[in-house]
Amino acid sequence: MAAANETRKAETKLAVAELGEKYKYGFVTDIEMERAPKGLSEDTVRFISAKKSEPEWMLQWRLGAFRRWQEMREPNWARVHYQKIDYQDSYYYAAPKSQSNKPQSLDEIDPKILETYKKLGIPLHEQMLLAGVAVDAVFDSVSVATTFKAKLNEAGVIFCPISEAIRDHGELVRKYLGTVVPVTDNFFATLNSAVFSDGTFVYVPKGVRCPMELSTYFRINAQDTGQFERTLIIADEGSYVSYLEGCTAPKRDENQLHAAVVELVALEGAEIKYSTVQNWYPGDEDGKGGIYNFVTKRGDCRGNRSKISWTQVETGSAITWKYPSCILRGDDSVGEFYSIAITNNYQQADTGTKMTHLGKNTRSRIISKGISAGRAQNTYRGLVSVHPRAENARNYTQCDSLLIGAQCGAHTVPYIESRNRSSRIEHEATTSKIAEDQLFYCTQRGIPAEEAVALIVNGFCREVLQQLPMEFAVEAQKLVGISLEGSVG
Amino acid sequence: MLEIKNLHVAVGGQEILKGLTLSIADGEVHAIMGPNGSGKSTLSYVLAGREGYEITQGSVLYRGQDLTTMAPEERAAQGVFLAMQYPVEIPGVTTMTFLKTALNAQRRARGEKEVDAVGVLKLVREKAKALNVPEEMLKRALNVGFSGGEKKRLEILQAAVFQPSLAILDETDSGLDIDALKLVAQGVNALRAPDRAMLVITHYQRLLNYIVPDRVHVLSAGRIIKEGGKELALELEARGYAQIIKDAA
Amino acid sequence: MTSLAMLRADERAKAGEAFAARGLPHRRIEEWKYSDLRNTIGANDVSAAGSVAWSLPHTPQGLEVLDLSQDEIPGWARAHWGKLRGQGVMEDAAIAFSTGGLALRVPKGTAVREPFHMNLIAGGHGRVLIVLEEGASLTLVETHDASQALVNIEYEIALGANATLQHIRRMPNAADAVRVGTVSATLAKSACYRGHFADFGSKLSRLETNLTLDGAGAEAKLSGVAVLAGKTHADVTTHIKHAAGDTASTQLFKLVAGGQARGVYQGRITVAEGANKSDSRQTAKGLLLGERAEIDLKPELEIFADDVKCAHGAAIGDLDAESLFYLRSRGIPEREARDLLIHAFLADAIAEIEDEGLRAEIWRAVEAALVYAEAAP
Repeated sequence: MAAANETRKAETKLAVAELGEKYKYGFVTDIEMERAPKGLSEDTVRFISAKKSEPEWMLQWRLGAFRRWQEMREPNWARVHYQKIDYQDSYYYAAPKSQSNKPQSLDEIDPKILETYKKLGIPLHEQMLLAGVAVDAVFDSVSVATTFKAKLNEAGVIFCPISEAIRDHGELVRKYLGTVVPVTDNFFATLNSAVFSDGTFVYVPKGVRCPMELSTYFRINAQDTGQFERTLIIADEGSYVSYLEGCTAPKRDENQLHAAVVELVALEGAEIKYSTVQNWYPGDEDGKGGIYNFVTKRGDCRGNRSKISWTQVETGSAITWKYPSCILRGDDSVGEFYSIAITNNYQQADTGTKMTHLGKNTRSRIISKGISAGRAQNTYRGLVSVHPRAENARNYTQCDSLLIGAQCGAHTVPYIESRNRSSRIEHEATTSKIAEDQLFYCTQRGIPAEEAVALIVNGFCREVLQQLPMEFAVEAQKLVGISLEGSVG
Repeated sequence: MLEIKNLHVAVGGQEILKGLTLSIADGEVHAIMGPNGSGKSTLSYVLAGREGYEITQGSVLYRGQDLTTMAPEERAAQGVFLAMQYPVEIPGVTTMTFLKTALNAQRRARGEKEVDAVGVLKLVREKAKALNVPEEMLKRALNVGFSGGEKKRLEILQAAVFQPSLAILDETDSGLDIDALKLVAQGVNALRAPDRAMLVITHYQRLLNYIVPDRVHVLSAGRIIKEGGKELALELEARGYAQIIKDAA
Repeated sequence: MTSLAMLRADERAKAGEAFAARGLPHRRIEEWKYSDLRNTIGANDVSAAGSVAWSLPHTPQGLEVLDLSQDEIPGWARAHWGKLRGQGVMEDAAIAFSTGGLALRVPKGTAVREPFHMNLIAGGHGRVLIVLEEGASLTLVETHDASQALVNIEYEIALGANATLQHIRRMPNAADAVRVGTVSATLAKSACYRGHFADFGSKLSRLETNLTLDGAGAEAKLSGVAVLAGKTHADVTTHIKHAAGDTASTQLFKLVAGGQARGVYQGRITVAEGANKSDSRQTAKGLLLGERAEIDLKPELEIFADDVKCAHGAAIGDLDAESLFYLRSRGIPEREARDLLIHAFLADAIAEIEDEGLRAEIWRAVEAALVYAEAAP
């Protein structure tokens, strides 16, 4: 039996060695790019704004953000450690040259780009698409294709690149942009406000149930380039929309910065369901390379009886710094946060949520599952705050951590603050490892150890996986397995 | 089917099995009886390949092959099944998902074609009916919140689904009332076949009223101290372990 | 050879410099997020506060009590004095601005049967050193009756193998006082620290407990209640570090806030790499009785080992409406029913105190405090 164990250990080592190969989205598309000059200055901001043919107010908004950003300091309170980022040693705009005029139809898109998305499993030809999912594809700094626009138009739903929305729906964008995540919110959000290049804009009109799932697929391709996308979703009174985003990037030894801002506004009776499968390149098994993912996501339940639900599956990135939050402003509004964060090798994740209860009878629910393997560090950080006027507010939080291996860490940092006596907050957290008897039970029934780990971890995450739309859930389950390969020994 | 020769096994440096010899032919049902701490569960874990059980001497041949070098999942794929005394709970993984994953992993390892979801469902339903395992149980997370009887029934259901060549039943009777015991025994008896051997490990004789063994072995302090036919179980029940051990010493 | 007096002067000077450089902690400092000292007291008031005074009515047999203001102190005290403290700025203040201090020692294998009472009779800064040698045990009961502007005590505690210290602190209401107590304790193999308190609030009250479980079998059992009314504040801050494997810690805190009071619990559990088989439980619950009261909880886990059992639970709410209705439907008047439920809420934390007499005294104090906590503003 000792021999069997040795064999298995050797296999595990092999699996670890191969792990770098397991990231199947690590390829690079060879395509000619147009870039802004390297570095960050007012000129960079002007360059981006001009590229997008933006109105003056937008440029001024960006410049205001840039000036503010210069006075800000990078935050250091999260449990992530990384080499100081040189903000001058990066490109802030990179777009495929072939896309300098936004293609009017899919036939005009550079075949190399179409091929890239095909390889990523996101076919852009509408006839090939899964029924019922519209896609906005963002390639480095620009949106290259948006599908099903016509069909959505019929329902009155606006689904387009934000750069287009700034031009075509200026008043709407101006009314809401920066109202959930103010320009001055935090270092990374302010940087994004100055240099964001593209992203998705969604507006669902009053009483409309969006006829299909909307999604954005973000791809970083260019070297030494940061991606700064900005997404703004507005669900008008009584409307409903489900939105998904996915992300990948090539394998590179250098770290690349991704600093996005997502703002959601739900008006009276509206509901927004926002799902993310984040699979940026995580770096190799020695911790080299990978995306630095500093993201500000916040939803404002502005109207009574509105609801915002975040679901995230975070398996990629060298560093994840992300707290999708809900401001429960309207009475009877509901906020949800379902999260799976998996870190392996040298990955670091510091993620969680903020639920700010302002309105009466507001409810929030937080389910967080953190899985840490290899030498990774995984932190849940969350705030539940009940303000004095939030009569009868309710929160339930369940935070579970699973450790695989003796050299990783799992941390839980919840802040629970209540200033209303009729409110009720409950928080539970556990930390455990995959029990040896569970693993043995599975292997005794013939399931190989790695598959058994994936099975057990998927079970551990089930409550969150169930929140994902069907097509995504299957992908996410597979991803859970892939992310943990090489983690048992 | 199974040839165990002079098996010595240590757990945490302490020797538990001290020269156990046992052989089971195809189609036979053997019972191992013994008092608590005699090494019954150790034997079952060693056969299934659990980590932490160190073989210091002796050999185990299964269908002529050395069993001891195989990983647990290889043994399972080769037809070794252990119905555990304490089946493990796995939250979030439904019983049906588990059955499908395990069945297909075994088939894959044997180079057989995998069975699709519909096929597995059909197979499981058919077996479940015979064991009175309700459909609803298959949808629940594996063993989570199951009663003792439900857990044991599920173990036998798995044996029926996987169709092992060697089934080891570790204290399958513990924690069962008489009705549940009969049901489980029926399930086990249905599995008797000319190409299948079974090793029934138990503390009490009562299970053997329902699963009648071909041979009975008495295990004490890591060794087989007495062997005989099915009547040996009755003798044990009548005279008690202490007396038999004393006689054998 | 430098004299002890010189060493001490040097230590005080260094701490004074550190205090001056760091200033009073405030809400922008993470550890003091919910307890803003800078807004509560002036730095000059802190540096001018002088030394505390204790009344020690009786020294039980087996316990050695030493006044550290004298020039000659024995080796055991010198060995530990100033070496166990943490990095807190209020510890700097206690060292800088107090003269002398108290040192307690229980020699190897000695079980001190009677509790040792320390009654605080005048505020200021203070230092307490407690050394329990191998197998020794002691029950220490502190009562802080002083209501002066500032009480700031720094405790350094060394528990030898198999030693047990039961440390109980009673903090009566002192609406105008600022109270800070910082305990730093190191536990050797199979040592046990039981820390229990009842805090009835002051302008700002902070009881901080930092424990290092250094040897296998070491155990920490902490419990406490805070019953607050008016504009009072009570902050329980703990950091338990499982530095060795096979160590255990439990924490059970109950906070009741009436009027405009604020109750705070910040607890961090750290399990170091390799500290396997650590078992750690943490429960903190808040009951909000006042319309303008606030409770803040921050139960933190920091885990670097995989073979551990860690769980925390936290909750904040009002009395359960259904239970209240049930009791009233059985004829119990509302007032009584509420009292009954509040008692039930606090009971398990108080039950942790072993001595029956002490428990009864604390219950009496709790009952008196509840009258104020239940009254509007």
